[in-house]
Amino acid sequence: MARAFLREDGGYVALLDPTERTVLRGLMEQTRALLSPEVESTGDAFDDLVASMGVSLGAADQVSGEPAARPGSDGLTDRDPALDRLLPTAHRGDDEIASEFRRLTEEGLRQRKSGNLDVAVGALSAATGSRIALDERQAPAFLMALTDVRLLLGERMGMRTEEDAEALHAAMDDIDDDDPLGYAMAWYDFLTWLQETLTHALMGTDLGEAETAYADDDADDDDLDGLDDLDDVDGDGPGRGAV
Amino acid sequence: MTAPTLSLAPVEQEVTSTEEVAAPDVPWVTIVWNDPVNLMTYVTWVFETYFGYQRPKAEKLMMDVHVKGKAVVSNGPRESMERDAEALQGYGLWATFEKDE
Repeated sequence: MARAFLREDGGYVALLDPTERTVLRGLMEQTRALLSPEVESTGDAFDDLVASMGVSLGAADQVSGEPAARPGSDGLTDRDPALDRLLPTAHRGDDEIASEFRRLTEEGLRQRKSGNLDVAVGALSAATGSRIALDERQAPAFLMALTDVRLLLGERMGMRTEEDAEALHAAMDDIDDDDPLGYAMAWYDFLTWLQETLTHALMGTDLGEAETAYADDDADDDDLDGLDDLDDVDGDGPGRGAV
Repeated sequence: MTAPTLSLAPVEQEVTSTEEVAAPDVPWVTIVWNDPVNLMTYVTWVFETYFGYQRPKAEKLMMDVHVKGKAVVSNGPRESMERDAEALQGYGLWATFEKDE
């Protein structure tokens, strides 16, 4: 059973059991795959320079005279809706400004988020036993990586408003043991707790309502097993490509 | 004469043009919107870390996001607001920028 991130040895240390490490790593890798930038850092100086300017060279991202296909979506009709949560519209009300901003920033954002996830996966891989140790540079990256994993998981569960979140939590009371939504929700709650503890450690504040040892409210040990695919866990709507 | 007439177009155009050039920048704002995923503590940490805001200010802005549904977290020229919105999206916050009306 997991122990919170605590300030320790000049860094931040949590204890996660093998299942927790494996699932967390898998979720981070799925999020990384969804966010993959078009230009990965390859060691090629020119490519990296262009990419570092945040300019996407992909054909689909070039400005065209086509009007936005639907309001508020920047005209991105074929896009996985989860990407709209990870890389949201930056201007509400003016699709032209929004799509221009996206063209200039999206590749850079994908690279930054992917980089955070790489750091986090690396830290999980480097665990000695159950001990996950983060230094001052890794901790913020791990924190942001947890955010993006939770955003993706939340989106897959249909959690878009506070009301959605309350309804989902309420539905957990009488959900079937083998319902994938139950697994997803259990992991979501676990990651929420883990992120909360790392945030408190970084801010130097008390854990508050978060416990040092993770307490699974549903008291069902099976809850944290079995989630292996983030694609469409709520079952409504088409799965748009593997995550 | 209380209103300009179109017959004075050359002069009027020149004046108008000068006024547009000389007009001060209309301030833009960066807005963070409430969402059900981001934690209150995390949002506070982002405001402290990115903007360098002191905790009371960071917490007040976070509470505005949480209670009112959104908060203006910075203002200034458009380029700065685009930079802020991009950075905050990097942190996973739901950030937008717009002209301050």
